[in-house]
Amino acid sequence: MQQTDLETAAAKYSYLRGLFFVPLGVLFILAALANWEVGPLRHTWAFPVAALAVAAACLPIGRYYNEHYGRLSPSVRQQIRGGVAVLIALAVMIGASLLLRSRADWSLDLPVNATAVTFALVMLISYGIGIGLKAHHVIIWGIVLVAGALPVWNGADPSNIGLVIAGIAVIVTGVFDHRLFVHTFGSAKILGPEDGDVRTQR
Amino acid sequence: MSEPSADLILDRVIHEPGRLAILTVLSSVNNADFVFLQRTTRLTKGNLSSHLTKLEEAGLVKIQKRFVHKKPNTNVALTAHGKQRIAQHWDQLERLKNLSKTTDQQ
Repeated sequence: MQQTDLETAAAKYSYLRGLFFVPLGVLFILAALANWEVGPLRHTWAFPVAALAVAAACLPIGRYYNEHYGRLSPSVRQQIRGGVAVLIALAVMIGASLLLRSRADWSLDLPVNATAVTFALVMLISYGIGIGLKAHHVIIWGIVLVAGALPVWNGADPSNIGLVIAGIAVIVTGVFDHRLFVHTFGSAKILGPEDGDVRTQR
Repeated sequence: MSEPSADLILDRVIHEPGRLAILTVLSSVNNADFVFLQRTTRLTKGNLSSHLTKLEEAGLVKIQKRFVHKKPNTNVALTAHGKQRIAQHWDQLERLKNLSKTTDQQ
């Protein structure tokens, strides 16, 4: 790795652990299905249970990354950068969704899918601030942004379709992020958890 | 031959490529464990261990051995002195680079 690669390794480690995005994307899709009252998700208890199951799926993923790729505590600078990204993302999410299509007096009430548009903007901004946009981020979230902004979303509130689109995009992004993660840090097979800590084995 | 400027003399403890990589990674985090350092520097565990020992002896890093989920884990962080030295070292390399450019132009 070069100097810049070494200095940005921590940020890449934090942002590119894409396997976490797979259950998150599934959660978005389940939320849409629950809103549509599909199958067992029509029960009020079903979505919280599904959310817990999805959260539980994150535990082995966290263990996989920690054991094969190590642990780190980000620098204060990186934490501030992450905090700024979250604040901007929240402002964009709330502001853009109210502006594009809502019951607010000042809403433009455009025939767009505000959920898809705002989520695409949030993802592009947070990746842009965090590690810089990679080709797959621009392609995936660019497609979601354009699809959501097309003036074809007339009629009923398209938020649930937006959630499904965002969920699929999150899963695909996660797969590509993980591929980039493995390309950056090497295959999990190179270094088993038992190989990692030589200093304590001596 | 005149004495080289102190500004041009590189600290060999830091300038060795493996140790420079370790310190550069650590300068971008609060702390990191052995496995993360091994992943980012691509050093073998023996080399990494030996470099960490040298850096600890030079007072540039502090090493904490602990158990995480009942497994041994070695956590490494730069000391205040280490932070200062690695920043100075990169500044020094930058000055040397600029000096070389200036010399080329003359």
